[in-house]
Amino acid sequence: MIQKLIILFILLSLNLFAQTSSEIIQKVEDNLNGKSAYMKFTMIVKTKRYERKMQMQSWSEGKEKSFIKVIYPKKDRGITFLKIGDQMWQYVPKIEKTIKIPSSMMLQSWMGSDFTNDDLAKESSILDDYEHEIIDQNSTAYTIKLLPKEDAAVVWGKIIMIVSKEYLLPKSVEYYDEDGELIRTLLYKEYKKLSDRVYPTYWEMLPQTEDKKDHKTIVIVDEAEFDKKVDNSYFTKRALKRYSK
Amino acid sequence: MKPYYLIALKSIKANKSRSIVTMVLTLISTAILIFASTLMDGEHKIMLKNAVEVYPGYIQITNRSFKEQPSFDNLIFDLNAVKQKLKAHHDIQTFTSRFETFALFSSDTKTVGAMITGIEPEHESQISKLKTALEEGSYLESNNTNALYIGKELAHRLKVSVGDKLSFISNAADYSFCADNVFIKGIFQTGLYEFDANSAFLNKEYFDEIFVSKNLATHIIILPKERSKSLLLSKKIQKELDQSLICESWEEFMHSLVKAMELDSVFGYITLAIFFIVIFFVIMIYTLLVVFSRVKEIGILRAIGTTSREILSMLVFESAILSFIGVIAGGIIGAYLAYYFNIHPIELGAKYQEQFKQYGMMSTALPTDFNLFTIARDMSIMFVLGVVSTLYPIFKINALTPSEAMRHV
Repeated sequence: MIQKLIILFILLSLNLFAQTSSEIIQKVEDNLNGKSAYMKFTMIVKTKRYERKMQMQSWSEGKEKSFIKVIYPKKDRGITFLKIGDQMWQYVPKIEKTIKIPSSMMLQSWMGSDFTNDDLAKESSILDDYEHEIIDQNSTAYTIKLLPKEDAAVVWGKIIMIVSKEYLLPKSVEYYDEDGELIRTLLYKEYKKLSDRVYPTYWEMLPQTEDKKDHKTIVIVDEAEFDKKVDNSYFTKRALKRYSK
Repeated sequence: MKPYYLIALKSIKANKSRSIVTMVLTLISTAILIFASTLMDGEHKIMLKNAVEVYPGYIQITNRSFKEQPSFDNLIFDLNAVKQKLKAHHDIQTFTSRFETFALFSSDTKTVGAMITGIEPEHESQISKLKTALEEGSYLESNNTNALYIGKELAHRLKVSVGDKLSFISNAADYSFCADNVFIKGIFQTGLYEFDANSAFLNKEYFDEIFVSKNLATHIIILPKERSKSLLLSKKIQKELDQSLICESWEEFMHSLVKAMELDSVFGYITLAIFFIVIFFVIMIYTLLVVFSRVKEIGILRAIGTTSREILSMLVFESAILSFIGVIAGGIIGAYLAYYFNIHPIELGAKYQEQFKQYGMMSTALPTDFNLFTIARDMSIMFVLGVVSTLYPIFKINALTPSEAMRHV
């Protein structure tokens, strides 16, 4: 009888943990994305021989829809991206063309940075495509392990996310491949009050593979507004050209 | 001449049918061996030549890390300095630079990811088969801007033809975003399906502006004056280069293809060996029958004082003469075939075009490799084989005592 009770207690506590980890991930995503968001950010791409700076504006609604416009440098000004679900389009003013990013190019670098097209397109899938489990916690942070669900079409073999208990925002995310090798680490730093919430304003993507050992991409969030109505016209293919100017 | 050698010559004349059959068998086998091995060598040589000359070239210079990690961090960073060094070389016929990267091509109806390469049109035309592979339109020129030279299969995938507009987006050498509109100037077909389905070329001067790649390259391709000395020349050039760069000859960077050819040769020789084992036994059995028909004669020779050693010498001399005549005649015929088909390659026709394309061969003509070393080697093999195949019957008969031999029925 006691044995059965112990087993029941273990199962219940495991279930509680599972719910908790899902809730944490859900809250992290809500805090990062909001119901809707407008942002202005600077992206610095550092490579072995070059350093480039870009500025962009983005409008998003939940995790499904987002629109990004490059405003600096002059050479790239007016390049726009539209993401709806897991599909992505790009408008390039120089060639006056809207291009749908094919699935074969999803793992290619986005704008020469250490982010990929897939990072933007499949941003929403972390909650749905992965099983979550809290593997550790201390007074300030949860460590959550995410493993892909059996039939999920995802890129990563494992993700380890460290979440701040205070803000329910990520501190770091480690991405591993199917062989368990660490491929890259995304650090979220400099939590500041932006609009209605505390937000990490300094993101650092650090590739861990040998071929990109001298690379780094930094995203600095300059401005942000959350949960304000975003004009729906941003999330149409016509917007790519219209808002490019 | 010792008397038993004269007996041997007489015996060759006396046993005409046996002598003729042995010589003819040796002749045919020698001619077949020479023809088959020169054809096999010729096939391999032309496959390698095609594979090397279509695009990769005889000697390549790249960044040492480029093969493992083909990124913009591993380029030839001072192209002009390397070019200056190469210009001073008298063993180099010409050289050219390339910048290879990936781009997303977009036509009105299709978007396809493929390789885009900046080339020096004039130098490139002397080194690779790109220019001669032209199918439609025209080849690139050194003053071209916005002109694309595209593989037939890639053009087909994008549903574009000569004169059509195509857009591409990519990352420049400084990892910035780059894009432009280009017009299809020419369509090529090398016959290498993967290459034709994934390659497009721009004039490097224009390419460098778009891809921020001035004085940068992924490859330098060198055409040596003497193709056969590629490996030697590559080692010589390597000594003058910065340690971050590597200079390799085709034998090194196409190592797997060279190994595949060697393996194919092994299988080819195994097939030939099976054929020769059959020939070997035919000659042996025939000799056995003929020699045993002469048992009494040998018994008498032994009885009048000829030693078994002298008998052995006599019979081996006899078989060596027959083999020699057969091998010489077969060698002449085989060498003639090798020479003839070297000048007039065997044309297999359009029916085999597809299979040939898979091996990177642009034509279905198969020349033999007329090589005196191969011919001499094959003749020697056949001579030894011819003599060795008669040894067993000779030893067998020599083991008999004179009285046993004379009583033999």
